[in-house]
Amino acid sequence: MSGAAATSATAGAARPGELLLRCRSLVVGYRGEGLLPPLDLELRRGTLVGVLGRNGSGKSTWFKTLLGLLRPVAGRVERSAPGLRMAYVPQSAGLDAILPLSARDVVAQGRLTGTSFLRPWASAEDRRVVAGALEAVGVAGLARRRFRDLSKGQQQRVLFARMLATRADLALLDEPTAAMDVEGEREAVAELARLAHGERMAVVLVTHALELAERNCDELIVFDRPARRVVHGPSAEVAGGALYRRLRGELA
Amino acid sequence: MTPTAAPTWDDFVVAWELFRDPIACAFAAGAVLGMLSVYVVLRRMVFVSAAVTQSAALGVAASFYAEIHLGLAFDPVFGAAAAALGATLLLLFDPKKLGVSRESVLGWVFAATGGATVVLGSRITQEAHDIESILFGTAVLVRPLDLTLVLAVGAAVLLLQLALHRGLVFASFDPVAARVQRLPVTALSSAVLLAIGIMVGVSARALGALPVFAFSTMPALTALLLGSGVRAAFVVAAAVGALSGVLGYLCAFFWDLPVGGAQAGLACGFALAALVLRSGYRLAVSLRRGRGRPGAAPTGDTRG
Repeated sequence: MSGAAATSATAGAARPGELLLRCRSLVVGYRGEGLLPPLDLELRRGTLVGVLGRNGSGKSTWFKTLLGLLRPVAGRVERSAPGLRMAYVPQSAGLDAILPLSARDVVAQGRLTGTSFLRPWASAEDRRVVAGALEAVGVAGLARRRFRDLSKGQQQRVLFARMLATRADLALLDEPTAAMDVEGEREAVAELARLAHGERMAVVLVTHALELAERNCDELIVFDRPARRVVHGPSAEVAGGALYRRLRGELA
Repeated sequence: MTPTAAPTWDDFVVAWELFRDPIACAFAAGAVLGMLSVYVVLRRMVFVSAAVTQSAALGVAASFYAEIHLGLAFDPVFGAAAAALGATLLLLFDPKKLGVSRESVLGWVFAATGGATVVLGSRITQEAHDIESILFGTAVLVRPLDLTLVLAVGAAVLLLQLALHRGLVFASFDPVAARVQRLPVTALSSAVLLAIGIMVGVSARALGALPVFAFSTMPALTALLLGSGVRAAFVVAAAVGALSGVLGYLCAFFWDLPVGGAQAGLACGFALAALVLRSGYRLAVSLRRGRGRPGAAPTGDTRG
């Protein structure tokens, strides 16, 4: 793991799963100004990837660039196929709390892509997928409840169900456990690991829960903007490094 | 009907030919604006509705002014629609690029168009009654052209809502996820804003700015306070808007009130009634829960 540039601890090593997305010398930032050094990494099916770093370390900028919401300053994001399905899971606290949507309504949003919303009603297939997704994360009993009336943990599970309903190849989650208590956080991250491995998705999780990420994620990416470093690799390997240990000390 | 006697249903039935068009117009505009009010309230665009409505009033006043002082004759309903659309297009741009908040632009549009309407109104004294009817909706009659436009634009907006509502709800709830799933979020937001602009424009000439603003905000408040889900909220809000329009007209007839004031008052009254109902329901639920808890005060009095 080098100091000035982004490094991958597993560069060249064989990894399980189909390649879904590749960052090639990717520099993220705003108005032509890069925040971090060029980054090369691959996201593969069936892996849970934890993204760690202090606030302002560039995690969100990298995330938005992967999602296609920001243009890269340099380099590129290559998708394995043009039709690669992506899903995004925000913090539930950031969602509109006025809309009187049921949990089922929220999960059904996962079935909307492109201009498919022009069909006024959900198809039988969509309803089946939504019911299956609610069942898969254990919230089928909450289907008719208002999303805003659910606990934070329940809301997050409903959002996980929405993620499943997209049938996404790659899901990106932005601090989904931020508003949860310790137990809820533990269950949520374990659930994500189960979904990534069981549903054969690549799941990228931004989190501040370092120990949970270390325990559950297959790979970790650590951002350090002041030092202009990014470290990426298998969890055990990254967790043994100096950057991770320093971050753990800072966030403790 | 003698000058001192209160109007009766018989009077109303006899004069039905006269009242049919304004009631149909109030029903259609109330229903469509009521449905759109769900977006206005959920997307926090109440002040957008106020600014667009005020712009429509300016469009009507400018039409009268142009005809009287400049010899340019064009129907005020087109002036209203053009001004409302102009304001809507102005609001479509993101002023943050200029370091200005959207609220500031809204405030400017509202103040500038309101002030200009009053100034133009003072220069067209022979049409003062028309200006009053535009601002407050005191007009008792509706012209066939106004009714035709309200029905045609209303039908088009209903079709648009049917086509876009699933996308619009998703884009309102979680715009980032909607973008990631490749929904045209900006186009959807623009479409709903333009629908509000054009419907407000054609309705403001027929009914007046005050009831149009009330119809484009209050019905959603009523529907949401009644605890409607998203789909039901559109139906309930459309029904409340239509009822406010029709019943407001009837109240104005039977109690000799200004039509626009009666319609706006009813729309607000429905929202207030819904608020009372919801508060009562919540109180009843909390009292029942209190009684159900072991050790709770049997009277529901929980003071220590």
